[in-house]
Amino acid sequence: MSSFVYMKVLESAPWRYDRGIRWLSGGHIEALWQRLAERAAGPGRRVLDIGCGTGGVALACAALGADVVGIDMNAEMLAVARSKTVAADAGGKVEWVELGAAEIEDRFAEACFDAVVSSLALSEMSPEGRRYALRVAWSRLRPGGLLVVADEVRPTDAAARLWQRTRRAPLVALTWLLTQTSTQVLDDLAGLVREAGFTQVRETRPWSSDLAIVEGVRPAEETS
Amino acid sequence: MKARALPGYLYDTLTRLFPHRTRTGLRAVGTPGPDAPVLVTGNYTLTVRRLTEHLAGFDCWLLVADSRGINVWCAAGGGHLTHHDVIAAIRTSGVAERVRHREVVLPQLGATGIERRAITEATGWATRWGPARLEDLPAFLARGSRIVKRWRFMRFPAWERFEMAAVWALPMTLVAGPVFGILGGRRVLAATLLQVWIVVPGLFLTVPHWPVRGRGRWVVFAGAAAAGFGLAWGVLALLGGVSGGHLILAAVASVAAVGVLAVDFAGTTPWYPSYVNSFRNTPAITLSEDRCTGAAECVQVCPRDVLAMEGRRRKVRVARPDDCIACGACIVQCPEDALHFRYPDGRVVEAATIRSTRLNMMGRRTVHVGPGGPAR
Ligand SMILES: C[S@@+](CC[C@H](N)C(=O)[O-])C[C@H]1O[C@@H](n2cnc3c(N)ncnc32)[C@H](O)[C@@H]1O
Ligand code: SF4
Repeated sequence: MSSFVYMKVLESAPWRYDRGIRWLSGGHIEALWQRLAERAAGPGRRVLDIGCGTGGVALACAALGADVVGIDMNAEMLAVARSKTVAADAGGKVEWVELGAAEIEDRFAEACFDAVVSSLALSEMSPEGRRYALRVAWSRLRPGGLLVVADEVRPTDAAARLWQRTRRAPLVALTWLLTQTSTQVLDDLAGLVREAGFTQVRETRPWSSDLAIVEGVRPAEETS
Repeated sequence: MKARALPGYLYDTLTRLFPHRTRTGLRAVGTPGPDAPVLVTGNYTLTVRRLTEHLAGFDCWLLVADSRGINVWCAAGGGHLTHHDVIAAIRTSGVAERVRHREVVLPQLGATGIERRAITEATGWATRWGPARLEDLPAFLARGSRIVKRWRFMRFPAWERFEMAAVWALPMTLVAGPVFGILGGRRVLAATLLQVWIVVPGLFLTVPHWPVRGRGRWVVFAGAAAAGFGLAWGVLALLGGVSGGHLILAAVASVAAVGVLAVDFAGTTPWYPSYVNSFRNTPAITLSEDRCTGAAECVQVCPRDVLAMEGRRRKVRVARPDDCIACGACIVQCPEDALHFRYPDGRVVEAATIRSTRLNMMGRRTVHVGPGGPAR
């Protein structure tokens, strides 16, 4: 899998995002969106997609019949998402809202979602922002609700880490030239999810050692 | 500044063209109490360093928002520092537990991306604009966080121009040094580096006296490249290294050095409108007078003193259109959407578009997001 830094370039030219991210992910992006949706969505389930971007995960959830809210703070990315249509037969729907992760509490009541998903967005936040987002996700989930997040992570073995660094370097430089920014690789995504209060935390890396999917459950019984 | 901080300071200054992330969150300057002012800034290392230094002797809070390691001006213009990031900073930093009041001072140069009203709506915190330049912060704080008109305006003083020159000459040296050293040997190396370190500062120091914005700039750039070549030739002659090959290398070096600067010389400061983002198609800032209610939010953020409030008529006036750098800050802040850009070809870009699009080398503000998806 190629590195995801370059997606910053894609975000600054959102109409190219989908084509670009498909290429960057070695063609796995749709499979990723689909896998997150299959875990989180289902007919009538309420799903929140944090950092929905051009809407990949949110639309995949709606296609499975879910009632989805996609939030993103980048209005241009949302404009692309809005231009897409929800598959009609499944009965799902999507609402797009320009909102930062730290503003979720302003719009949505506690315990109002069956699932929260987020793909490739946590790595773009500040460390406090990430923790806050996960805690808010926890509080907006109903007890027993499911969190499914995916992001670029540091591989566990040294050789893969070195390879990741080398591969990222030219992309980091190019991305910086075009957008003056870059994204970060997460060190311990599962740990962050646990820290936010989720239980039954599970991590999988289905395609490569640097892309992780982490799941967690808001416990049904209040333990703390 | 403490001597210990000097190496870090020099490093940050010379590499300031690159993003440098520093820790986000709340920081204390001095020993601030619950009534001390809260100053918002971005997490660009150099700015935080400079702020801490300029604010020595004051007690206040720095609320460092996530601007992705970019300075406030470029981050706000590029969509990397918006009200969403300020709201996130207020919420995630714990500032509410540290202060009794509910007000933040925003950096005025962030006005192209930070919508003040959205912050108050989401958090209940009041906002006010601080000065455009951080050197004026001590005086601003000494006046009880009240602005004086002249602190709203940018300057491009000689020391800053010199700094920008060094900031550009250094990477050129790092790239040109090995290339020309290997291709042409020591004498060519000496000639090209000397040329860079005279022509680049020369352009920056003399910039108030030549037409940065007009077509005339091409004459200046061509002249600078020629002068650089002449200089390099002189050095080669002194060192006894004039040959056809060496002269060609010297010519390439001088054209390359000036060429790199010519890409966006004006964009190195908020004093001029960046070439990259406006190209030859510079928009005119235009006011729909019938919509203007005299809120004058725009006047508070214009870094070039373009807009003036006519008190008696309770209307804003575009008083000095020629100084406008097309940053869009005024358009973003206007509560009535009374301002817009009008391009020479007749196109109009409205407030909603300015607010939702970002400026960088790939996303220009003239993009049009319409039915059927975005088009260029
Ligand atoms: C790389 S895109 C991923 C988009 C989509 N989820 C996907 O998988 O293709 C990351 C998105 O997260 C958004 N984002 C980053 N930080 C955010 C935050 N704090 N709040 C809301 N959105 C955020 C960005 O604006 C961007 O659109
Ligand atoms: S008048 Fe021009 S320079 Fe002043 S804020 Fe508006 S766009 Fe920027």
